[in-house]
Amino acid sequence: MGLSIQKTLVQLMKTHVLLSFAFVMRLLLVGVGVYQDRTMVVKYTDIDYHVFTDASRYVTQGQSPYNRSTYRYTPLLAWMLTPNIYLTSVFGKLLFVACDVLTGLLIQRLLLLRGLSEESSCLHSALWLLNPLPAGVSSRGNAESLLSALVLGTLLCLELRRMRAAALLYGLAVHMKIYPVTYALPIALSLQTRKPTGGMPRGARSWRLWAFICRVLNRDLLMFTLISGGLFCGLTLLFYHMYGWDFLHETYLYHLTRRDIRHNFSPYFYMLYLTAESSWSRALGLAAFLPQASLLLLTSLAFHGDLALCCFLNTAIFVSFNKVCTSQYFLWYLCLLPLVIPHLSLSLKKGVGLLVLWFAGQGLWLAPAYYLEFEGWDTFVLIWLAGLLFLMINTYIMVSIISHYKPEPRSRVHKRPKAD
Amino acid sequence: MMGFNLHIVVILFVAGLHATHTGKGDDGCGFLITSQLLERVKVAVNLTKNGFHRDLIYTVQFGAPLFGNLQALLIQNIASGMYMDIYQLQSLREDSGLHVLLDSEVDLEAPAYESPGFASFIYLRSDSSVPGYLTSTVPIHGRYHRPAESKTREIVEIQHPKLLLKSDNCENGKPLLSSLPHKTVNAPCSVHNLSVCRWFQIENLQAPQSITLTLPVGDKSLIFLVCGGTLFITVLCNLILTVTIYKNALFEFL
Repeated sequence: MGLSIQKTLVQLMKTHVLLSFAFVMRLLLVGVGVYQDRTMVVKYTDIDYHVFTDASRYVTQGQSPYNRSTYRYTPLLAWMLTPNIYLTSVFGKLLFVACDVLTGLLIQRLLLLRGLSEESSCLHSALWLLNPLPAGVSSRGNAESLLSALVLGTLLCLELRRMRAAALLYGLAVHMKIYPVTYALPIALSLQTRKPTGGMPRGARSWRLWAFICRVLNRDLLMFTLISGGLFCGLTLLFYHMYGWDFLHETYLYHLTRRDIRHNFSPYFYMLYLTAESSWSRALGLAAFLPQASLLLLTSLAFHGDLALCCFLNTAIFVSFNKVCTSQYFLWYLCLLPLVIPHLSLSLKKGVGLLVLWFAGQGLWLAPAYYLEFEGWDTFVLIWLAGLLFLMINTYIMVSIISHYKPEPRSRVHKRPKAD
Repeated sequence: MMGFNLHIVVILFVAGLHATHTGKGDDGCGFLITSQLLERVKVAVNLTKNGFHRDLIYTVQFGAPLFGNLQALLIQNIASGMYMDIYQLQSLREDSGLHVLLDSEVDLEAPAYESPGFASFIYLRSDSSVPGYLTSTVPIHGRYHRPAESKTREIVEIQHPKLLLKSDNCENGKPLLSSLPHKTVNAPCSVHNLSVCRWFQIENLQAPQSITLTLPVGDKSLIFLVCGGTLFITVLCNLILTVTIYKNALFEFL
């Protein structure tokens, strides 16, 4: 019995079997969703999926997708989902599910490039592919998998030194959602010219800093900036021309200035709610922004040599210290976690312990949030404390990861394939 | 009690008018004077569920079975503390045939102190099993309110709705109708036909009771504790991470 289970697991850890299994699992979930939506009061489909579909309907009628209130995404998404109107309403879910599985494939390819064996890379990509969390999110019609595929595609192309493709994917990723902008500095720093001899330059500190700047400002960085910046600005100009201020406001400005006072996972939620109308609301907003910004800068400078780790930490810091945080944001860093795990010297027991802690932190937040929202109990203080505890748990997990991370051997980092 | 007396008077007066016009044939506005129909009309509103997401259950019971082309509409004014979600209503229209229109665009996220009120038009459908009985269940949601200094709950009042009736056979603008003591109100004809129709507001319903619900609000007296605690923990977490990153980092320019 034990042997047959082991055999099945070995079979499953072959790339194509794993991918097919992951895809079929998600298709089944989409099917279950269609059935549940038709027959039950509690719907399976995410509310956002209806928002996307409504926006697509406006697009097919020649109108602005922003006529749908709470549509706060790029018009590209509404365009992409027009088959929802013309063909079938599950088209978008199938697209998201496909991107979700593609994300798993990209994770596996990246792990192979980072020196893992075929079996080990499959095992770690299974953390995403067989994970019910991303499978549930994409099959419910949430578009996060588009972003995870774009982010991992960017990392893979960078690892392969396919700079133009990487720049295009990165420009598109930032256009779709703003958070990958936090990868700009680590990417720029990782593109620096490295001498084959390696080692640290010697001399006075100011001279070393100057030499470092000279290494960073090179042809690769210029090309990457021009292509990704050009695509981002081109798309912005195009959509501004088509949809005007609505596009800028809903897609970018809303997210940048967002101060949702309703309860969410952010440690800042209750403070921002209580001070929403006070004169020091602006100063507190800045006080909340500084810890996030300083850590992003520091991580970028410290870990840009290992982009996967750096992007993971940047995203986890961005989400944990953000002024608004909902559970879908967790997927932004979870898709990068399988790239980090193989380098951790943590015992399995401690790893599982951290995972349990992370879920427990969410559970402790969800309970008072449920009683506030659905029972009308005054649990604001408990939600606030749970938000702070969740930040502490996330900090503890990040500290554990950073201090137990064994970086890639430097020699391998230098021996990347030549640029295309 | 006053209302009840007035009600009787109104019906008698209408009956009187009717008597003077019977010679002109049935103009389809007979429902206004069917005292049996209106005399014991009851509009009841119940609020179910708890917290921020509630259901308003309306039931209208007429004194007699309704005749075929009579339509009933409730106008429900909603104050700034609550909102209805137009997209949820649309989805319910497809799923369960709920017919509700809103008179203006309603922000689904704004707090109560930044929201104007609005009116909703609830088109009632008859329950075929009980003659003269109409019902509708409309979901409604609470908004976040301004934090308060001395209380942790805000009371939100939902006014009693107005009952309006219309019959397709009843021609608009007839002198007879304008002279009727029932108030006429312009409102959309139906969820499918947004052009304005003339409806007759049935006044002097049963003693109009408004319903209230309480929503939790933030405690402003905790403002210093919450700000201090939040900033302390976030700065502490920031420092712990900064030290850890610094210890494990490779700064190439240092």
